[in-house]
Amino acid sequence: MQGVVPMMDSPWRLLMAAPATFCATRSAITIEDAASDFSRNASAYKPLHTFELPTGAEKHYHHQFADMYFLRLVQLKQAVKQKAHDAWDDFKLGGERASYVERVLDVRQGELCWVVGTVYMEMALKPNVLDDLSKEHWIAAPPPRETYVSPSGADELMLEDESGRLRIIGDSLNSHYVTGCILAALGTEQADGSFQVIATQYADLPRQPRRWESEDAAPKAKRERSGKLALVSGLDITGTPDDDLLLDLLVEYLTGEATGPPDQTAASQISRLIIAGNSLAHASPILNRDDFNAKKSAKKHYGYDASSYNATPAEKLDSLLSQILPSLPITILPGEHDPANVALPQQPLHPALFPLSRAYANPPVQSKESLEGLDSVTNPWEADVEGWRILGTGGQTVDDLLKYVDDVEPLDVMEMMLRWRCIAPTAPDTLWCYPFQDDDPLILRECPHIYFAGNREKFESRVVQGPAGQQVLLLGVPRYSTTGQIVLVDMETLDVELVEVGVVQPAS
Amino acid sequence: MPPKRRSTGATAKSTQSTLAFHGASNKVTKPGARATNAKKNILTESAKNEEKLEVTTVKVEEEDAPTTAEAAIIEQTEQVQEQAQSTPEEDQARQIKPKQLQAYWTKLSSGSAPRYHQKDFGLEEKILRKFDMTGQFGPCVGIARLKRWKRAHRLGLEPPIEVLAVLLQEQDSKDKISVQRSIMDDILNSHAEIEV
Repeated sequence: MQGVVPMMDSPWRLLMAAPATFCATRSAITIEDAASDFSRNASAYKPLHTFELPTGAEKHYHHQFADMYFLRLVQLKQAVKQKAHDAWDDFKLGGERASYVERVLDVRQGELCWVVGTVYMEMALKPNVLDDLSKEHWIAAPPPRETYVSPSGADELMLEDESGRLRIIGDSLNSHYVTGCILAALGTEQADGSFQVIATQYADLPRQPRRWESEDAAPKAKRERSGKLALVSGLDITGTPDDDLLLDLLVEYLTGEATGPPDQTAASQISRLIIAGNSLAHASPILNRDDFNAKKSAKKHYGYDASSYNATPAEKLDSLLSQILPSLPITILPGEHDPANVALPQQPLHPALFPLSRAYANPPVQSKESLEGLDSVTNPWEADVEGWRILGTGGQTVDDLLKYVDDVEPLDVMEMMLRWRCIAPTAPDTLWCYPFQDDDPLILRECPHIYFAGNREKFESRVVQGPAGQQVLLLGVPRYSTTGQIVLVDMETLDVELVEVGVVQPAS
Repeated sequence: MPPKRRSTGATAKSTQSTLAFHGASNKVTKPGARATNAKKNILTESAKNEEKLEVTTVKVEEEDAPTTAEAAIIEQTEQVQEQAQSTPEEDQARQIKPKQLQAYWTKLSSGSAPRYHQKDFGLEEKILRKFDMTGQFGPCVGIARLKRWKRAHRLGLEPPIEVLAVLLQEQDSKDKISVQRSIMDDILNSHAEIEV
């Protein structure tokens, strides 16, 4: 990528007039359609199976989470140490040089030194297993919290490694770090045993592959101009007719049925759609304990109680996908409310959910990926699309991190996650996670070109620069059910556009 | 109390059979149980059982089906063994002689007080316990020792080759599982056996 990418956020609004006039314009469109031919190019797509877990009995849950923290510290310690050496080897304070201390507990009082460890935030309001126990004994559990930051400021920050924990204090630390990120801290130990921090250092962005690097062919091979990538998230299908309007408009826009030739030309440049989580509004037909007790005492049903499971949302999602799939390949990520496992990394949505769209996907027995149809992938997800490396999540990691800090923008949080090289820093602590023992895939090994998080409140985008010339486009994909916005990324220039679908009442 | 009734004359006999707790057909006790001399036998039998328990406690535990934690360690060792038929470090480890192990151990334990609590352990056991307690290779609980060594080697932490030598030696010899499970794992995941 040469130079700085210019950012264009030009929202285009599709003006849908009142229904009476819509039919008239529709017939006009079809006549013109026959004259001009719109076609879509194929998308160069190579999913990476970084986050797929072994199936069936090969998944083990008896491992300790301490293994995950150990793997994270060991794999990132080298990089952090290198950065800290570069920054602080010449550092002098009051004539004293800073020295590196191997173990966190070996810091000496009054000595200027730096250590590398994992951050741990001690917060009283974090979810606790004791809440579950209180639910057993009392009527209701305490409500889930919006933020873990305690109002009195009694939260403590600690640096941990295999020797122990060190309490750290310092003005530069407030709301900048969360549990699970690997940090080098420079400072001295005080009389009461806490470590006063002057400066900190993190691993920063890793190496970024060139565009088309993973392709075996020569990078200068002749390729067609890449199309656009459409990102949407938070469809939140409930099965009721309320969401029909927005969903139908989405289908019509993507398949080119709506609007006129200019917009249809623009829509025909889209070569792939990514649905980034929360396609279903709530996907647990299994009732939680309180509802189940209420239901049990209510009425006695003999046989199968059909009212406990509503298949309409899944059917609607399936029909939506099957309408778009003939003309556009789709990649679907599971989200917080989707019927996939709760723990990160969420495994792909099962093809059994999509009886109609299954025809456009490779059966799992045959292959783990479908390059040209419906690809059901993990959350988080990594792939090479049109040569660019893309990393995306359904948004749970960002939401969880925002609960640890005050007054921080979601894009800042996303940038920091990349710089710490942790895709889910809070993962075993407050975010459910699979206990990895051999290798932690939630560590960033190669810097992506595009990093998106779904289910944001509003659309945001930013380009961040790395120390070795890396450039990453950060995208916050808004919730479609509330905003009606679709994000389009031009895969040749990495420009971002926003398409907003809605109904505009004509001024009367 | 009501006055006693005297039955005079022939009373009509009913055809219904009466309940009986005697006789061969209604025997309640099992055959072979000695109802007589009961006290004596109870005492001697309990004494015998206690002796039996003391003698065979160790064996009984091992014959039980492995618990989840143990089963996981067994599976891990089998996986690790399957994968690497002979990697370079394993070849190197197999060539280590007992003298080298002794030298390694003396170097490791030099400069510290003599370990009286480890008097009864063999050299291999001491080396393995030291490896367990070395925090820089990660937690020792919930992972087989061989797998932990391989993981540390893969991450570039340079675990001592002598430990691998000891593990492979013990593997080839007898009881594979007790060697792979660290002592901390035993202590933390121990469960109480209820002897009936």
